[in-house]
Amino acid sequence: MSQGQGREWQLTCPLASNDIEKLAMGDLVYLSGPVYTARDGVYKHMLIDGNAPPISLQELTNVSLQSSPAGVEVSPGEFEVASLQATAGFRYAQYMPQLLEQFGVKAVVGKAGMSEQVYQEVFQKHGAVCLTTMGYGLGAIYGRAIKKVLGVYWVEELGISEALWTFEVDRLGPLLVEGDIHGNSFFTQVNHDINRQLMALYDGLKAPVYGRIGEEQKPETELF
Amino acid sequence: MSTTSTAISRELIYQVAYETNKRAAIVVPQDGLAAFGEAWERESKPLAHFILGQILENAKLAVADARPMCGDTGLPRYYVKLGNEARIDGGVVALERALRQAVADVTQDIQLRSNRVHPLTRRNPGNNTGVFAPNIDYSFEPGGDWIDIIAVHKGGLFGTDYRMLFPADGTDGIKRFLLDNMAEFARRGLSCPPVVVGVGLGGTKDQAVTLSKEAACLRLIGDRHPDPDVAALEVELRQLANQTGFGVMGVGGDTTALDVHVEIAYTHTGGLPIAISQFCTAYRRSVARVFPSGEVEFREDPQWFTPYYRREGIE
Repeated sequence: MSQGQGREWQLTCPLASNDIEKLAMGDLVYLSGPVYTARDGVYKHMLIDGNAPPISLQELTNVSLQSSPAGVEVSPGEFEVASLQATAGFRYAQYMPQLLEQFGVKAVVGKAGMSEQVYQEVFQKHGAVCLTTMGYGLGAIYGRAIKKVLGVYWVEELGISEALWTFEVDRLGPLLVEGDIHGNSFFTQVNHDINRQLMALYDGLKAPVYGRIGEEQKPETELF
Repeated sequence: MSTTSTAISRELIYQVAYETNKRAAIVVPQDGLAAFGEAWERESKPLAHFILGQILENAKLAVADARPMCGDTGLPRYYVKLGNEARIDGGVVALERALRQAVADVTQDIQLRSNRVHPLTRRNPGNNTGVFAPNIDYSFEPGGDWIDIIAVHKGGLFGTDYRMLFPADGTDGIKRFLLDNMAEFARRGLSCPPVVVGVGLGGTKDQAVTLSKEAACLRLIGDRHPDPDVAALEVELRQLANQTGFGVMGVGGDTTALDVHVEIAYTHTGGLPIAISQFCTAYRRSVARVFPSGEVEFREDPQWFTPYYRREGIE
């Protein structure tokens, strides 16, 4: 048992299917091996605009981070990373079918995950999981886990904060299993409990005299 | 007399701006550390307790390794308070140039993420500077011959909202807006709770937003507004924010807000504009005072909201 609630796993990348299958929502994961980053810039450049990645991502690994590190070019062509954190993943749900289908990704590491619907319709089909960074500000802990920057690509095209980074990581974690291969979302479950106490707090507070467009959307619903 | 005071050198301003940015990125301020520690101690949910422990561990490692506490190093910005008698070698133009240069240099040296891009083309200069970047906000203080330089590295995506309420909405409207804001942004921890919530109440719409950000970033956790009515509202709103139960990272927990700070500004008789900003778990701020003698004094309290800054009368 971990110090939190779920079990704790030390896994090697690329992830084996039997490793992925045993992950349940709420478990904690530490990853070792090669991983690569992809967020707005890479998704658009690679998936929408159809540019082939400069290296074979599938051969490298099946773990992709929705992230761009705090890193710089310390000398021409040589990059270092000080700190790492993923960005909010809900806005990338649209890219998941293509990413999982074409690039064989089995673990997406983001921040806060995506909707249960995406897990059920996309992740479940591909036997993939969604992990989330924690804290969310554990940048120094995650930064320490980066043992080597293997390569940085598309810096010219996308800028350094959207480039494709490949890393060798050692015990990158703790990461929380947010979406498991059965289509369950940890946060959806948590929010079910939170909503009960949240809605009770609205009791007795009168509604504003002037509404806003979209206000019929109830506060207990997910906004994505 | 002001005309005889020694000018503060632009080199010193650059050095202090550089150092405050470096510290802001790496070192969690004392009030933040204490508040995270207390939250960790009283947290009843095991997962939330574990995460708060990791946040405290992360704060230690960041300092030990001199690496940014969060991988999203936010948007570096400055709050500058100028003593009325302060003089700057090269004037405020030299000051602004030094402040911009320091952000560019710290970005490279400390390895901040180059977050600032053109909003349409997404072009990235690679040094966290650009059009209107970094933000520089000013306030003034009677009598002083010093300059306060405050570097804040504020997250940039979630937690801020504005709404025009009306006097009939009163405290109910304020509370509802806080709950709405938490439901929107603390859910799944998008705004990275536990946060320090800043509320800007009244003024003009833009003042409400500006004050909410200053309230979130420039007051120590535990500080109360001098107006007893405002102070009472702060305590009430902090309790309400924590009753939501989102907790650290939105996983469910006892502490969602480390504190709530409310700033008020006199407003249109028909309106009650309100804005909320959330200062995330990566609580990043560093404060220094530069004197004409060349002395530099780093301190924890930003002392941004002075009685003069909040003055009600003509003087």
